[in-house]
Amino acid sequence: MLMASAWLPAQNLSKQAADVLRENCFGCHGEALKMSQLDLRSRESILIGGDGGPALVPGKSAESRLIRFVTGTQQPSMPPGKRLPAAKIEILRQWIDAGAALPDAAALKADAPAKTDEKAVIAALENRPITAEERHYWAFQPPARPAQPSVRHSDWVRNPIDAFLLSAMEAKGLQPSSPASRRTLVRRAYLDLTGLPPDPAAIDEFVNDRSPEAWPRLVNRLLDSPHYGERWGRHWLDLVRYADSGGYEIDRDRPNIWRYRDYVIRAFNQDKPYDQFVREQIAGDEIDAASHDALIATGFLRNGLEANMKTEQTRMDELDDLISTSTGAFLGMTAGCARCHNHKFDPIPQKDYYRMQAVFFSTLHQDLPLVSEAEVAKHSSEQKRIDDLEAPLKKERTALQKPYKDALVAKMKARLPEYIQLALRTPPEKRTEGQKLNASQVEKTLRVPDNEILAALSPADAARDAELRDRIARLEQQRPAPYPAAMGIAEKGPRAEPSYFLHSGGPGNKGSLMRPGVLTVASKADVVFSDPADNARSSMRRATFAAWIASSENPLTARVMVNRIWQHHFGEGIVPTPSNFGKSGLPPTHPELLDWLAAEFIDRRWSVKAMHRLMLASNAWQMASDDVPASAAIDPSNRLLWRMPRRRLEGELIRDSILAVAGTLDRKTGGPPIHPYIDPALWQSSTGRTWPGKPDNDPETWRRSVYVSHKRTIPLPMLEVFDKPDAAGSCARRNRSTIAPQALMLMNNAAVGLQARYFAQRVEREAPGPEAWIERAYHLALGRSPSASERSASLDFVRSGPHGLVDFCQALFNLNEFVYIP
Amino acid sequence: MTKRFYSRRDLLWRCGAGIGGVALADLLSTGSLQGAGAAGAIDPSDLSPRAPHFPAKAKAVISVFCYGGVSHVDTFDPKPELSRRQGEALKGKGEVVVSQGSPGALMGSPWAFKKHGQCGMEISSLFPQVAKHADDLALIRSMKAISPDHAPALFQMNTGSILAGSPSMGSWVTYGLGTENRNLPAFVVFSDWRGGPIGGAPNWGCGYMPAALQGTPFRSSGDPIVDLRPPKEVTPERQRRWLDLIGKLNDEHLRRNPNDSELSARIASYELAYRMQSHAPEAVDVAKESEATRKLYGLDDKLTGYFGGQCLMARRLVERGVRFVQIYSGGGNFAESWDAHFDLKGNHEMHAGETDRPIAALLEDLKQRGLFDSTLVIWHGEFGRMPISQRMDGRDHNPYGFSIWMAGGGIKGGKIVGTTDEFGYRAEENVKTVNDLHATMLHLLGLDHERLTYYHNGRQMRLTDVAGNVIREIV
Repeated sequence: MLMASAWLPAQNLSKQAADVLRENCFGCHGEALKMSQLDLRSRESILIGGDGGPALVPGKSAESRLIRFVTGTQQPSMPPGKRLPAAKIEILRQWIDAGAALPDAAALKADAPAKTDEKAVIAALENRPITAEERHYWAFQPPARPAQPSVRHSDWVRNPIDAFLLSAMEAKGLQPSSPASRRTLVRRAYLDLTGLPPDPAAIDEFVNDRSPEAWPRLVNRLLDSPHYGERWGRHWLDLVRYADSGGYEIDRDRPNIWRYRDYVIRAFNQDKPYDQFVREQIAGDEIDAASHDALIATGFLRNGLEANMKTEQTRMDELDDLISTSTGAFLGMTAGCARCHNHKFDPIPQKDYYRMQAVFFSTLHQDLPLVSEAEVAKHSSEQKRIDDLEAPLKKERTALQKPYKDALVAKMKARLPEYIQLALRTPPEKRTEGQKLNASQVEKTLRVPDNEILAALSPADAARDAELRDRIARLEQQRPAPYPAAMGIAEKGPRAEPSYFLHSGGPGNKGSLMRPGVLTVASKADVVFSDPADNARSSMRRATFAAWIASSENPLTARVMVNRIWQHHFGEGIVPTPSNFGKSGLPPTHPELLDWLAAEFIDRRWSVKAMHRLMLASNAWQMASDDVPASAAIDPSNRLLWRMPRRRLEGELIRDSILAVAGTLDRKTGGPPIHPYIDPALWQSSTGRTWPGKPDNDPETWRRSVYVSHKRTIPLPMLEVFDKPDAAGSCARRNRSTIAPQALMLMNNAAVGLQARYFAQRVEREAPGPEAWIERAYHLALGRSPSASERSASLDFVRSGPHGLVDFCQALFNLNEFVYIP
Repeated sequence: MTKRFYSRRDLLWRCGAGIGGVALADLLSTGSLQGAGAAGAIDPSDLSPRAPHFPAKAKAVISVFCYGGVSHVDTFDPKPELSRRQGEALKGKGEVVVSQGSPGALMGSPWAFKKHGQCGMEISSLFPQVAKHADDLALIRSMKAISPDHAPALFQMNTGSILAGSPSMGSWVTYGLGTENRNLPAFVVFSDWRGGPIGGAPNWGCGYMPAALQGTPFRSSGDPIVDLRPPKEVTPERQRRWLDLIGKLNDEHLRRNPNDSELSARIASYELAYRMQSHAPEAVDVAKESEATRKLYGLDDKLTGYFGGQCLMARRLVERGVRFVQIYSGGGNFAESWDAHFDLKGNHEMHAGETDRPIAALLEDLKQRGLFDSTLVIWHGEFGRMPISQRMDGRDHNPYGFSIWMAGGGIKGGKIVGTTDEFGYRAEENVKTVNDLHATMLHLLGLDHERLTYYHNGRQMRLTDVAGNVIREIV
């Protein structure tokens, strides 16, 4: 309260208040824009208020929202980005207390600034300049290749990675862990690169091969294995919220989306250059419409959730999912935060968000045929042939049923409440508005159930009806199978649909028309989105956007991806928040190493496999995971990586390892998803959501978990309980819980028990007698011989009863050593 | 050296903390449960009981979810105008938005309303038993939600967001307070006998939080938890011996890695699992209850038996320290849930008939056992229903105005908050949102909804997002 302020003359108040409102508020709450549905131009509309209720209470300034917003006691304070001078607030306060009279609306309107001014006001509001200091933030600087630091213990340095790590360790007096044993290394390499444990012969081969080439040979063999793509593709699938159904009410299956999953696996196996991988997923249809892979890749843009009722709002949510997922996955930026306001922590203006929205705005969901046009035409003509044959049959059926149906409808109408019957009896032109509504409800929704019609038919008509039905059913069987298609993206044509800046993120608050754009702070110059030729199939905006991301000039792309590769080799990223390189994320533990790796990645032509080779060749990756007490005292959480962290296997890998060790794993790759058994108590419902689970002993279900259907509303418990992400949004880093239900799963689940029996049978087949069984089982499950005490405890147990061997085998599935990468 | 040695007890509680979990929690101060205990950062997988932000009134929550959308104008929000003007078009309330087909005309309620209790709360004849507790209820007649579509509306009611992927309220409560009985899941969900609701598991999912915080679906017969017990042929002795072997074989590995708390926690999780095998069936064994209690909940009646059993189990769970129980009335589609697009009368008579007596019994029983004041019961759907007809004798979805009530757990009974318009179409006075409901629930549990945050995707997330006000007049 301004104590010193003079009490303003009442007659001036309404004029002065109107001036304050016009100068400061009308831009967003006036003619051009009614943000939050609020229009401040008349007393009437002020009292109706906006989304939050009336803007003021006449006579009570303290209770008025207007005052709370301009004084900042309610957030967001208004007007945005500035504070009204105290004198102006005082005018508003006194004006409200005096009853909040305003000059009439017409006068105010006439008084309003010209429209062009409002446009300028809005444009100014949308502008959020980026300062030089903001551009200086490390992640927006292009990664330079730092010099390899010198270290005291240079003998530990096998490649530059080691130099960067060791120099940080030496600075803190940390000592790296000892080298891991060859047995540990081979198991670690198998699990890390393929997600499957090595079989005993492979272990022996490596352990006994002392040549310096043994290690690179092993790494190359694993990178060449089809299982490598299954393992590393899975990391990518987390990031792109991959699922086999659409979620929400219907949770419709997506019969073609598995081709995208296979595309990802294939891309990793083929070592597709990462820049190409990025471009295909964002704009495959624009870049190379002749390539099936490029079309399938656009499934990236289709992986999000699918709303049941489609509205403008749900379309905005879909676009938001595309912006959030693309900027998070490729750029490590949380641009989704700029949907309703400028980003709170990072220099991402809201305008950037809507410029990127303009990139995706014209995308249409489309299933793209993966067969020739001739085949598509043949398919449609075959469909038409059947439609034509069915048409007269259907027509005859309808005619045959009509008299029966009419009689039943009449009966049903007679049972309706009297007031509705009255509406029906009233001639249409004389019906009240309500009667019209009710009569139309009856016409539109009164349905006679089919079985009632069938029951009413005369014997002769029933026979004819059955014959017709039968002939239609036979024709239905002749329908051609659907041709293979990609669940992908297309656009209507070269001209993009207009899209707008949305103030507060609301579809009702359209601001300026938006041109496509990129993250301003991360691009040196303006990226030019040129208009394509008139005969182009699309606006080509995504191709331009993708080219900007997948460029060696982009300061984020290479850093973000090498950090992800590092994260999955070393447990945590160098930036521990892998999809957030902004200020609300964590800074890199080894910034120079990150930059060095990014430079290498680009120099090695974005080859992901080259980065695997580089990282696995380091001494760091080959350290033991054992403690060094002196180092643990200084850095107990191992942030500077003085030892290899132990990593628990994901649920998928636990399941895969069980199948592999039991000897039942079907190593077939690719194809439609599989459905292992789920207890119906966990999903049964009449909502149309189903889970066609196969029994545990069906070998079709013994495939790798990456092929298990991810039904969004029906998670497979084995995976869910081990923190498989829900695919609602991008997941860059899985949670790692250790909870009792995981133990229950491995202790009691029937599928696990069954595999334990197969494991026991395998062991009996492959080794003679209890001692040899135990030896063999240890080698299969843990890749080593049991110690003396383990051997004796196991032997006692195996000999103790008829279930000894099976239970022992299942015990191995439950051991810590089984579920951790050593 | 910090956190090198863990007591056995510590480990049982901390079963959870993945190394990554702890490390990142440390780094990010993941849980800003400020003011709770000594630590600023909490490990989200750590389920040990935690002090709330301020003294709590309630310790546990039971959510009775009338899934499909219970009609407020036929239960707790009388609208005589609907009968008076039956057959007239709904006018003067702006655009009439229906979720399916075209709008019908105003339709009166088939049920009569009467005043109940000292407070004179008007309740329809669908809930005669619950009506006897009118003076215990805080009724909110001015609720407003966002979506007229089941799945987003369910998600909003359960997670605060209409979009899939956010943690459910049970996860938030467990995250904020931990659990008082580690031998049972902290957050339990019962589905209707007809099946689960639209939207499935994400309704009780933990979103971006660790799996330790997700709801555990309980079956209402047989073993409550899927895979709780080994196959029948495995005797308890055989299982015990087997677990001892696992312990022995794990021991050697642990001795080689003595400082790895995650390995120890995993070993402890087997002991917990073993204990859960006996505790969970006991906790839901309604045969242990007296004949009188069983009768009170309607277990003697086919109509009320199933839901009554679940209410009784909910009480037994809360009694044993379970933090959050959710019971769904209605499952599947249309008539199987409260989703009365047609035959409103048949639909609501069936669902109210199944639940009225058990819900009243739950309130009564909680009181008799001294649990009422520490247990918050919330009765709600995902939205209400339209004042106009649909398919002649049904009602469509209505998120623009509907009723919910709360009782126990520090709620002031006999209170009515807010109103809808004369038809019950839109919330009009003192409008309350789902965020307000969640803020109020957390408040009663001693949690400040603005301070209970979880770091995700660059932001400190909240159950109430950036909104929500505690409904002061009822707490």
